[in-house]
Amino acid sequence: MATYPGRVSEVRLGLGGELQALIACPPAAVPPAGRYMSARAPAEADAPLATPLFLTQPVQGGFWAASPWPPSWIPGTELVLRGPLGRGFDLPQSVSRLALAALGASPARLLPLALAAVERNCAVTLFTTAPLPGLASNIEIFPLDALGEALSWPDLLAIDLPLERLPSLRTLLGLSATQLLPCSAQVLLDTPLPCAGIGECGACAVPSRRGTRLACVDGPVFSLEGLEW
Amino acid sequence: MVSDLLFAHPLANAAGSLGFAPEPRLPLEWGQMGAFFTNPVSLQPRTPAHGTHYLPFPGGFLLHTGYPNPGLEAVLRRSVPRWQRSPLPVIVHLLGQGSDELASMTLRLEAISCVAGVEIGFPKEAGVELIKAFVQAACGELPVIARLPLDQADALAPAALAAGAAAISLGAPRGVLPLPSGRLLEGRLYGPALFPQAMAAVRSLAQAGFPVIGAGGVYTPVHAQAMLAAGAFAVQLDAVLWRGD
Repeated sequence: MATYPGRVSEVRLGLGGELQALIACPPAAVPPAGRYMSARAPAEADAPLATPLFLTQPVQGGFWAASPWPPSWIPGTELVLRGPLGRGFDLPQSVSRLALAALGASPARLLPLALAAVERNCAVTLFTTAPLPGLASNIEIFPLDALGEALSWPDLLAIDLPLERLPSLRTLLGLSATQLLPCSAQVLLDTPLPCAGIGECGACAVPSRRGTRLACVDGPVFSLEGLEW
Repeated sequence: MVSDLLFAHPLANAAGSLGFAPEPRLPLEWGQMGAFFTNPVSLQPRTPAHGTHYLPFPGGFLLHTGYPNPGLEAVLRRSVPRWQRSPLPVIVHLLGQGSDELASMTLRLEAISCVAGVEIGFPKEAGVELIKAFVQAACGELPVIARLPLDQADALAPAALAAGAAAISLGAPRGVLPLPSGRLLEGRLYGPALFPQAMAAVRSLAQAGFPVIGAGGVYTPVHAQAMLAAGAFAVQLDAVLWRGD
């Protein structure tokens, strides 16, 4: 499994007001949307765990990563990056209308998928409660409250969701107990990934129709159809 | 006998840290390891614990997983071919619900030539009598390692060894942390903050003349060397392996 050198080169406030870190690294160490790099600072020998870093925006020479990361990481911190790990978003060629729903703290981890879809001339709509000044004008933004009425519009719905909210997803989408989702959906689950696929520790267990799956290796992006929700 | 457990190298992984079989693609220095300990295996499948599983604290983290595993037969189906290819001796960690169950699981493993030993874990409420019963049930042709919580090892080790255990290994201690909701989460503790406590346990057991595999908060080569110097005959690494160092 490949490892790459990296460095924190800048920290900024993202579009939604969350912190983002610019990670300088080789192109192969930029994770695709929804996958992650397991990052550690070699100088911090007593850091209990590595940190999963998700892409929010690729740039020349690296990528902007979504928070959180250890508070000790500041511009200049040298990193070792392992990955990309897990399974990310799949944007089929057949998709022409993409809806994104940020049901967690921030839409940041959905933005690279939005940008990829815009490049393909897909229509993209983002449902979020976060203020997003300056986002590309070809991405329409709606409040989360409008999501339920819009579910028949997209070919694909991509969701960022804390794992603990999976049991209430039906309510969050405004679906009744028996109502089917009218489009296909992929969900990026937000959950701690302590072993980052190394230990099968079970801390990121996800209930699926085929038994338990692990977000660290089988996800963190899952087809919603395959999950128990 | 402990002589059955003298590995070519004194480092090993702790049960629960590297899955059910050695995975050569992982970013680990396999050549520096002396044995492979499987994740805990129960007779029947165990599903993951519900709810929050992970809480960090300064110097470590609390983990509550319920030791999910597909059950002994499923583990054997999936893992025995990989154990047979393993350059490391494989020690299977067993989670028994009772003495009879442990005895039957151990008997099953004795028929598999690539299994070098068993390590047994105990329920959290285990006292001296249960420790004795479990160890006696597991003892057969394979050497038995009794994994005791490092904060109780001093008190429980004599019973485990008297019952036939070849060695003691140190398991993660339990702790409790408050969730943001105020609810309390109980689980096992990991991280470098545990090292002083683990080191004290190793020293105490070694001074009593007990064969001990050190573990707990080992994050640097200096930590491992200190445990070996204090009398441990091997050292297990746990969460540090998850960093992919």
